[in-house]
Amino acid sequence: MKILFTYIGNFKEYLIFSALIVISIILIFQNQNIQIRFLRAAAVAVIGTVQDSFSFIPNYFKLEDENKTLRETNLNLSVELSKLKEAKLENIRLREMLQFKMSMPIKTVSAKIIGKTLIQTRNNITIDRGTSDSVFSGMPVITDKGLVGKVVATSSSYSIVQILLNKDLKVSSKNQRSRVDGIISWDGENNRIQMKNVSKSADVLVGDVIITSDYSNTFPPGIPIGYTVEVGTVDNLFKKIEIEPFVNFETLEEVFVLTYLPDEERKELEKKYTKKLK
Amino acid sequence: MKEYLKYAVILFLLVLIQKTLIWIFSVTEYSITPDIVLIGIVYTGINKGKIGGSLSGFITGLLIDLMSFSFIGLMALSKTTAGFISGFFMNENKIDKYLSGYVFVVACFICSFCSNFIYYFIYFQGSGLEITDIFLRYIIPTSFYTMIFSVIPVIFARKKMFRR
Repeated sequence: MKILFTYIGNFKEYLIFSALIVISIILIFQNQNIQIRFLRAAAVAVIGTVQDSFSFIPNYFKLEDENKTLRETNLNLSVELSKLKEAKLENIRLREMLQFKMSMPIKTVSAKIIGKTLIQTRNNITIDRGTSDSVFSGMPVITDKGLVGKVVATSSSYSIVQILLNKDLKVSSKNQRSRVDGIISWDGENNRIQMKNVSKSADVLVGDVIITSDYSNTFPPGIPIGYTVEVGTVDNLFKKIEIEPFVNFETLEEVFVLTYLPDEERKELEKKYTKKLK
Repeated sequence: MKEYLKYAVILFLLVLIQKTLIWIFSVTEYSITPDIVLIGIVYTGINKGKIGGSLSGFITGLLIDLMSFSFIGLMALSKTTAGFISGFFMNENKIDKYLSGYVFVVACFICSFCSNFIYYFIYFQGSGLEITDIFLRYIIPTSFYTMIFSVIPVIFARKKMFRR
C-alpha cells in the first residue's frame, strides 16, 4: 500500500493536471454553442469510426441474446408460415368446392367433417350439418372428386355418413366406358373397394372409371366412384375387380350433401316385391 | 500561505487588467492583445512547479471564463495546460536566473503558443476559418505579442537582482 502511495505520489503533478483538464473539458461540454455542437459531432464521428473498426470482434453475451431472439423470431415465423400454408390450401380447396357446387344441377349443402373413423370395418364420418340444414337420412354425400357415401343418421345439427369404406354400404355402379353394371362394396381389408356381380365375360379393363348407375335409387347417376386397378377372376362366373376410390378418405375435410332423396314410391314397390318373393 | 496569497492577488489583478484595460494595447484588424494573465501563470509555474502552474492556470482561466459569460471551461483548459508546461521550466536553484533572463521570455512564448493553440483551435470550430488563418491571424501574433510583454517582468527582475 505504501509503495502504491509512493508510486502515485511520484505522478501527483500529472494526476492533478489530468483532473483539472477533465474538469475543464466537462465544463466545456456543458456549453450549448456552435463550437460544442461541432466538437460533439466530431467526437461522435471518431467514436463511430473506432467502434466500426472493432465491430468484427464478436460480443459473446450480445451474440447469445441475438441468437435467442433469432430463435424466437424463427419459431414465430414458422408458425406464421404454417398458418399461411394452411390458409392457402384451404383457399384452394374451397375454391374447387365452390366451382363444383356451382356446376351441380342438384342443390347441395356444404359440410365440414368433425369426426372420422377409418380403422373399423364399418367406417363413418360425422358432419356439422343436420335436419335444420335440410340434411336427411339417405342423402348422398360427395366431393368434387367423387362419391363419399350416404347419410344414415341425423340430428338437428349433425349427421353420420356411411362411407364407401363401410361393409354395409352397397352402391349400384357402372363402368363408364363399357357400361357394364355391378355392385360396389368393401371387403374391409384395405383402402380399395370391389365391384361385384360382374360376369367373367364382361368388358372391364384396368384404368376404367366407375360411376354410379341409373339403377340406384339412393344415388343420382353419373357420380364418379373410382377407377379399376386390378381385374381378375373369382371363379368361373364372376370377375374380381379392385377399385381405387377417387376420394382420399384419409385427407377428407369438407363434403357436400346432395339434397336428393330416394323415390319413396319406387322404394315401396321394390320392398313389396322382395317380400312377396320371400 | 502569505506567499500564495500574494500570487492570488497578483493573478486576480492581472485578470482584472486583462478584462478591462488591455484593449488599449490591441493591434491589427483582429484586435490582438497581449496575454498578461499568462505571463503571471508562467511566473507562478516557474516559481511553484507544475502543480502551482496548473492550479493557477485553472483558477484564473475559470475566472476569465466566468467574467466573459461565454464558453465556460475553454480558457480554464488552455491556461491549465500553459501553467503545467511552465512547470517544466522550474529549477529550484536557478529560479531568479530564469525569471530575469531569456528563459522566462521563451517559456512565455511556448506556453502562450500552446494556450492560444488550444483556445483558438476550439473557439473557431464550425466557423469555417482555415487552420492556417487561425495560426497566422491569432495564434502566432498573440504568442509574439505576449512574448514581447513578458520582457517587462524580466526587466523588473533584473533591476531587483542588481539592487541586491
